[in-house]
Amino acid sequence: MIALIRTEFTKAASRTRSLVILLLLIGLPTLIVVAINARSGRPDRDGGEGLFRLASQSGLLVPAAVLSATSGFLLIVIAGTLAGDSVASDANWGNLRYLLMRPVSRARLLIAKAFVAGMLIWAATILVTLAALIAGLILFGAHPVTIPSLGGLLGTFNISGGALALRVLIATAYVAFGFSALLAIGTLFSTLTDTAASAIGATVGVYIVSEILNSITQLGQVRYAFPTHYLDAWETMFTQNTYSKEMIVGIVVQVAYLVVVGAVAIAVFDRKDIRS
Amino acid sequence: MSDVIVEVDGVSKRFGEVNAVEDFSFHVERGQVYGLLGPNGAGKSTTLRMIMGLERPNSGVTRLFGTAVTAGCPELTRVGAIVEQAAFVPHLSGMRNLKLWWMAGGGRMADADLDNALAIADLGEAIDRKVKTYSQGMKQRLGFARLLLGRPELLVLDEPTNGLDPGEIREIRELIGRLTHQGATVLLSSHHLSEVEQVCSHALVMNHGRLITSGTVSDLVGTTKSIYVEVDDRAAAHELLVQLPSVINVQMQGDGLVMVLRDGRRSDVGAALVSAGIRLETLMPTQRLEDAFLDLLAAGDGGAVPSLQAAQVSS
Repeated sequence: MIALIRTEFTKAASRTRSLVILLLLIGLPTLIVVAINARSGRPDRDGGEGLFRLASQSGLLVPAAVLSATSGFLLIVIAGTLAGDSVASDANWGNLRYLLMRPVSRARLLIAKAFVAGMLIWAATILVTLAALIAGLILFGAHPVTIPSLGGLLGTFNISGGALALRVLIATAYVAFGFSALLAIGTLFSTLTDTAASAIGATVGVYIVSEILNSITQLGQVRYAFPTHYLDAWETMFTQNTYSKEMIVGIVVQVAYLVVVGAVAIAVFDRKDIRS
Repeated sequence: MSDVIVEVDGVSKRFGEVNAVEDFSFHVERGQVYGLLGPNGAGKSTTLRMIMGLERPNSGVTRLFGTAVTAGCPELTRVGAIVEQAAFVPHLSGMRNLKLWWMAGGGRMADADLDNALAIADLGEAIDRKVKTYSQGMKQRLGFARLLLGRPELLVLDEPTNGLDPGEIREIRELIGRLTHQGATVLLSSHHLSEVEQVCSHALVMNHGRLITSGTVSDLVGTTKSIYVEVDDRAAAHELLVQLPSVINVQMQGDGLVMVLRDGRRSDVGAALVSAGIRLETLMPTQRLEDAFLDLLAAGDGGAVPSLQAAQVSS
């Protein structure tokens, strides 16, 4: 299994696309931090909304603002690309049949591919946090922050530098784990087509539809089962000084998707006729 | 007892309403170089994919080395295959592709026959270039290198010269020839009949997913009713042959005579010539595998499935 993971990682990491993603993951957070700095330094501007308004108080808060900005689309697209591409790219190259003519079970191959995609999704999320943290520390330094609870309705609360760092760590892990459902869905789609672009498009499409449906409150409790419903639950650590119970529920939902959709993906791939 | 390496036993495969392969059976014994002949869409590639565990038959079973084939089964370690065109990870070098493919199967590089494989591929310094810069012929040679890494007992080659230019085709055919002389068992699918004729000891013809006939290549070619003879006295031979009731349409051609057998055997013609005191230099069927192939397909399309043995008796 380790050899399979190593070969799949080499294939994924050595692509030019991976370098572009890497540059994007470093460049965009840096750009956001520069924008926060420019906005906060001008008296005629209010500093933006939510975490962006607060981010200039401390470089330790900047990763939270950048994660909030990127987890809703950029990281979804990147995660969707990595997951949707996992099997379909080999099929597209015609290389999949040669992998499957080795004495390796299809389930193991698929798990290795999904594991590598998951690993890269985690690496991407961590990279966003690190890029934002470094840029934030350079521009704003490391300070405790005073945050208006619920926009000031419940007064203010303070978070020390150490607590901020811990919460950033938890937020990063939560956001990365929050793409588990996407990983499973993308891997499933990747087994269904020989065109990577189709698998990626379908995966990202499912998340966009999920986001849209999640915003329709009339759907009620149905929304709780959407893979995107609890994605932002971590933000309460910074805006309300609480660890939301929704984070736990969010993790359970992600695990459920990972297990159920992952099992379907394995079953589909195991029975698939390989014609590419 | 014969040593059966590949066995296809009553296999059928459907894609929707289309029967790609229908109740198809054959086997390949150790040391045979077996050709799978048929027009495009005959079911050759589907058959090979089922042998390699890439597709599941709807009914019947395929076996490698006596064991039923399943996806990723251990017997695949003893097989090297090129199914359709050789394909690789394009952004990696040829060498990296070989190593990653080998290691993906759990093998240690120390156990791979890398030096021999690289010698076969004969790619020189290009082995360290990205595969996307390779010509199709170079990819095909790298494909042969890959399939030889595990010192396979069986080679499964599906249209190995497809898409290659004449020079590359010659290189690949010579390579297959070298491998067969080294004792490899080969299952070769092709619609290049000259390729099968040059390389294979045995062949089968399939069409519309069904077996038309099978046997040795020389038997297959020998189904012809048209023969060519060279003798020391062409005029005397012509005079004799036109009187034989079993022979029709005797014509001078080149240094010899061409005729069609109405019935009887080629040896009857030889015997008649020798009995008449005419010295016989050459007696051979005029047609090549291509003619036999087309005749068999035409007969198969007409509903009759000729047995090779029956065809030989009638000739």
